[in-house]
Amino acid sequence: MNVEDRWTRFEELDAGRVLGDLDAAELAEWQELSRDFGSDDALDQLAAEVEAVLILEKPLVLPPAVAARLKREFAPSPSPAVKSTGKIVIGPWLGWAVAACLLGLLVVNRLISSQPPTAEQRRSLLVEKAADAKRLPFAPVGNSYSAAKGEVVWSDSRQEGYMTLSNIPANDPAKRQYQLWIVDPARDEIPVDGGVFDIPAGATSVVIPIDAKLAVRNPAAFVITLEQPGGVVKSKQEVVVALAKS
Amino acid sequence: MDACIEAHGGLVWSIVLKRVRDRSAAEDLTQEIFTEIWKTSGRYDPSIASESGFIAMIARRRAIDWSRKQQRLPEMESLPEKADFPAPVETPGLAMDRDSLWKALESLPDETRKLFTLHFEQGLTHSEIAESTGLPLGSVKTRLRRGLLEARALLGRLGDRLNLNPESRS
Repeated sequence: MNVEDRWTRFEELDAGRVLGDLDAAELAEWQELSRDFGSDDALDQLAAEVEAVLILEKPLVLPPAVAARLKREFAPSPSPAVKSTGKIVIGPWLGWAVAACLLGLLVVNRLISSQPPTAEQRRSLLVEKAADAKRLPFAPVGNSYSAAKGEVVWSDSRQEGYMTLSNIPANDPAKRQYQLWIVDPARDEIPVDGGVFDIPAGATSVVIPIDAKLAVRNPAAFVITLEQPGGVVKSKQEVVVALAKS
Repeated sequence: MDACIEAHGGLVWSIVLKRVRDRSAAEDLTQEIFTEIWKTSGRYDPSIASESGFIAMIARRRAIDWSRKQQRLPEMESLPEKADFPAPVETPGLAMDRDSLWKALESLPDETRKLFTLHFEQGLTHSEIAESTGLPLGSVKTRLRRGLLEARALLGRLGDRLNLNPESRS
């Protein structure tokens, strides 16, 4: 296949990925081609916009019991600030189009920005509540990052985990970003992308939530690499920063 | 967050329930999705996506991931709880902001539009679409994929960047 044919094939497979219909062979082919062509979030966004537009013609109603459960989960203590924003939601017309935009994400996000638990707090909660939480220390890898220290906490049942890291140099996100890989032989020989992250300048110790892109069943190792901004689909592991093995 | 749940609960629930027909799992997944919205709301950029599009993308990704996980597990049959589905309601207020996308969708061939409706709106699986339309399964997949790419090309030609948020247009 020439480059144009490869691009056409990649586009079709990428659309399949967005639609969630790739079989195992196609997924492997997409991963191979995406090394050359990257991954396009804009297509995901388009599919989401199409789905939202079509659904919002006749959406289902969130059952009241589920809505109540969610509200309990996310509103541990009512605050005057949140109550006052509630007054803005006065009409069903504006409620969807404007007030929801402002209240749902932007204003509420600012108003309650101090309320959501920090990554450190969520990590502590995981350690406390998840009976299957594994704790693995990062071991030195013998290169310029040999001073790196830290620990991974991971729960298979909750598919949630955190890294506590120290002595890792700050990165310039415009040039390079750190990326976590989760090795799970029970699942696949290809490591699962655990998300990209940054180490801010001046940070002595940071807690980074793990953002596993696929389900992880029984991780054997967690590997941090340094990659191009935004991360990569498959790492060449040219720069391994830290490694934690079970 | 209450306002977000009020505003987008129906959208998220619709996306989830189309793919996750087990009611209990759907409730858990809906909670996971709102947790992710809570965590990532700071990344929302109205110049890139509409708010409902941002929410839908998170919900779609989570729901598709859930389906993938299920495919790797031993088969577990769940009965759809259609009797419990609430009646749909009209949601006025956003129509004006969806014009660009509607224009693109309306420009698609009839058959592609029909497949989009069956997949995105009614939530039929590709196999169900094949059964419903009489098309071979491979054709359903190919036409949906090409339809999505065609919609993107149409939007490009319309000169829109999916900028559907009313605030960013004013």
